[in-house]
Amino acid sequence: MRLRVCFALLFVLSITLLGCGTKKEGKSGAPHRSVVIIAIEGDIDSFNPLFAEDITAGEINDLLFPALVSSGFDLESGELKYSPLLARSWEFANQDRDIVFHMLPNARWTDGKPVTARDVQISFELYGDPDVASVRQASVDNLRRTGGKQDIRKSVEVRDDSTVVFHFAKAYAGQLFDAGLPILPAHILEGLPRKVLRSDPVNKSPAGFGPFSLTKWTPLQEIVLQSNPESVVPYPAKLSQLIFRIIPDYRTRLSQLESGEVDLVSGLRPEDADKVARDIPHVEIISTPGRDYDFLGWNNVDTETPAGSPGATIKPHKLFGSSEVRRALTMAINRDELVHAYLGTHGQVAFGGISPLFKWAYNDSLKPLPFDPQQSRLLLEREGWIDTDGDGILDKNKVRFSFVLKVPAGNQLRTVVATAVQQQLRQVKIEMKIDQVERATFWKEVTTRKYDAWLAGFSVPLQMQLDDLWGSDLEKHPFNLTGFRNARIDKILAAAGTLKGETEGAALWKEFQKIVHEEQPCTFLYWINSIVAVNKHVRGTRIGVLGTTHHAWEWHVDDAGQADAPASY
Amino acid sequence: MSLLKFLTRRVLHAVPMMFGLATLVFFVSRLLPGDPSSLYVSPGIPPGVAEQLRSQFGLDRSLWDQYLAWLFSTLRGELGFSFAHGAPVKAVLLQVFPNTLLLGGTAFLLECVLAFVLAALAVRFAGSWFDRALSNMTLVVYSLPSFWLGILFLSLFSFSLKIFPSSQMHSVGVEQLDGLATFGDLLKHLALPALAVAVPGTAAIARYLRTSMTETMRQDYVAAAIGMGLSKGKVFRSCILPNSLGPVVSVLGVEIGVLLTGVLVTETLFAWPGMGRFAVMAIFTRDYPMILGCTLSGGALVMAANILADFIRAWIDPRIRLT
Repeated sequence: MRLRVCFALLFVLSITLLGCGTKKEGKSGAPHRSVVIIAIEGDIDSFNPLFAEDITAGEINDLLFPALVSSGFDLESGELKYSPLLARSWEFANQDRDIVFHMLPNARWTDGKPVTARDVQISFELYGDPDVASVRQASVDNLRRTGGKQDIRKSVEVRDDSTVVFHFAKAYAGQLFDAGLPILPAHILEGLPRKVLRSDPVNKSPAGFGPFSLTKWTPLQEIVLQSNPESVVPYPAKLSQLIFRIIPDYRTRLSQLESGEVDLVSGLRPEDADKVARDIPHVEIISTPGRDYDFLGWNNVDTETPAGSPGATIKPHKLFGSSEVRRALTMAINRDELVHAYLGTHGQVAFGGISPLFKWAYNDSLKPLPFDPQQSRLLLEREGWIDTDGDGILDKNKVRFSFVLKVPAGNQLRTVVATAVQQQLRQVKIEMKIDQVERATFWKEVTTRKYDAWLAGFSVPLQMQLDDLWGSDLEKHPFNLTGFRNARIDKILAAAGTLKGETEGAALWKEFQKIVHEEQPCTFLYWINSIVAVNKHVRGTRIGVLGTTHHAWEWHVDDAGQADAPASY
Repeated sequence: MSLLKFLTRRVLHAVPMMFGLATLVFFVSRLLPGDPSSLYVSPGIPPGVAEQLRSQFGLDRSLWDQYLAWLFSTLRGELGFSFAHGAPVKAVLLQVFPNTLLLGGTAFLLECVLAFVLAALAVRFAGSWFDRALSNMTLVVYSLPSFWLGILFLSLFSFSLKIFPSSQMHSVGVEQLDGLATFGDLLKHLALPALAVAVPGTAAIARYLRTSMTETMRQDYVAAAIGMGLSKGKVFRSCILPNSLGPVVSVLGVEIGVLLTGVLVTETLFAWPGMGRFAVMAIFTRDYPMILGCTLSGGALVMAANILADFIRAWIDPRIRLT
């Protein structure tokens, strides 16, 4: 009997708990809330732009700490455009080597202190200080030096509280880009010991001045931003809250998008994009031509004497040292089929290292090398690669054309593409084995050019600065992974760095692509679109090349209140 | 030997084991290629930044120096300093360890209750189709991994039937709910991950408990008790149950370790903000102190569970204290 009573009580308690969802009474007449929830894969690394490395952290910090200028990407021309943000205006001076910024006089930090030119100066001092070890340290490299030394207090000059002058060493295309870093609170950060600033608790409770402020951060759960009513940069966000929910599992993110628990999911896989668009009527798919490409890296230099070692004599790689062989490899791979099979309309064949997004620089007179196994075999034969022993694999001077392709683990697309490439190369009698490698291991080995071949991806920068990827000084440029060296390309990179207007370098960049296309230091596979799924009730988004939450202060919910209530479970 | 002496001896035995575990994990984790600074090796970031970070993290010191520094930090109770979180490991773990304990504790409780009910029913209907079916079912269920069950529960109860939420500990806007509703919201989020972790263990414990109860029921003292006219309930509570629990308690101690493994994987699947997710992140980011912190916390939990199990067994059966 007692047992039955216990069970009955337990049952009633369970029903009560599972059924309850009483909301606290809100204040009558309170403004209607509008909330947008973004599902993200992982937690962010820092609320301090000095240290934030991951993309989501960068996007959140941009909403908390606006920069002097706001950048926009013109899809028509493929150029970056700048508009006022903390700076209401600016002018160039001193033969375009200086920029004088006139700042908004009434901007305030969330703790009430005014935002001044000194904040700008100290921000750049912190970005450039080696003791701080900021990931954005390189942004101050082009500021004017005094006596050979970098002195930010002189190169970023405070003229008065709302006027700051940037003195650059030269006039170049990326001056506004480099001056466009998030501005930090000098009154909070200046006195802190710089060598341990990375671990200071201040990085977890940011005082910003942007359209949003941080309300709550629960590690591994959620980040809640709310509209900052005091913001004048540019104005308080239209949404009352922007919530980032951390949901590591991709399928769960999609399911929650379908159920309406979240409003936005980025990083959709191409195979899911069309299905989501078809099956979830309240969701819109935004597929933006991306800056990301995958490529097959062929080590151009001998792995036994890795280029990059001081004083090492660089020898060509025994398999991939010849550009004719590399062309043959590219022609043996059916890239159109790969794009059609795995990316559909969300990608395109790549060939020159510059994204078609940058229309002014993209060389559309070039065409990707065709898929032509016959021609591929012929090129290999001309290079002396013949199957002399009849084992089905080409050989030359007793060296078999057999190698291992290293693939960083965790990317499903690259894994299946590697398998397809393996089969296609087999058709021209080349043996390729696949080895999946843990990511940290992969990048350590590939940047020291220890691998023969690999399948990886890169993202090209918004500013056309490709020295890191293509510069011939292999010691200085570890991300020239293939070890490709070309004197003309070095001259192009140097010349492009001195141009005042970015588009002035169009002819140079087109020549750059022509050389890369001819030499085939690697086999470019495809450009991958950035695919975002967003609930149609979220309006005013500018999801695209510059990220998902770019200008999120303009977002609003057209049926305000729908996203207000807690999830209906 | 008194119970207190027995307990003290067990705890003292655990200390060198923890030290050995910590030392082993410290050196094994350093065998992983790369280090935390490798996250900052990227085009656009000056190569010097990675070197500066190595220096800031103390990774440019000898391995021995690093080990001693970490050991002293651990003895001070800080467990080292997390590179990725920029805070003492202890502070970071204190935020998430209670969540893991909540999930693990609930799953353990579920395991015990469900296993007891199932075993009691199987014994009650020994030899029947129910007993046979249960025996076969438990064998199958025990072999199912938690993450697989988690996926099954998610697709069934969350995505298809939409009865339970699919991730996290709380719904968005939970702060607008009152106390009871907040607790209810937590229970709804806890239900599926706890069940996913508990089900395989339930099967194992139920099988052990059933076997142990059946063995006990064959003992002469049980027959004597029945012959003395005691009710079935009284015989079960006074004779069968206490004598059946001894071997099962040891299994429960071991089961805690298995359960913890299930919790760590299940946390990622259900986005439960616990230590398991921190441990996985720490491995990928080569956050050595955090890897060690998670390992030590998990190790301490398993050892504590085993000591508790030994203690309970010794309490039930004083003969054990003599060994």
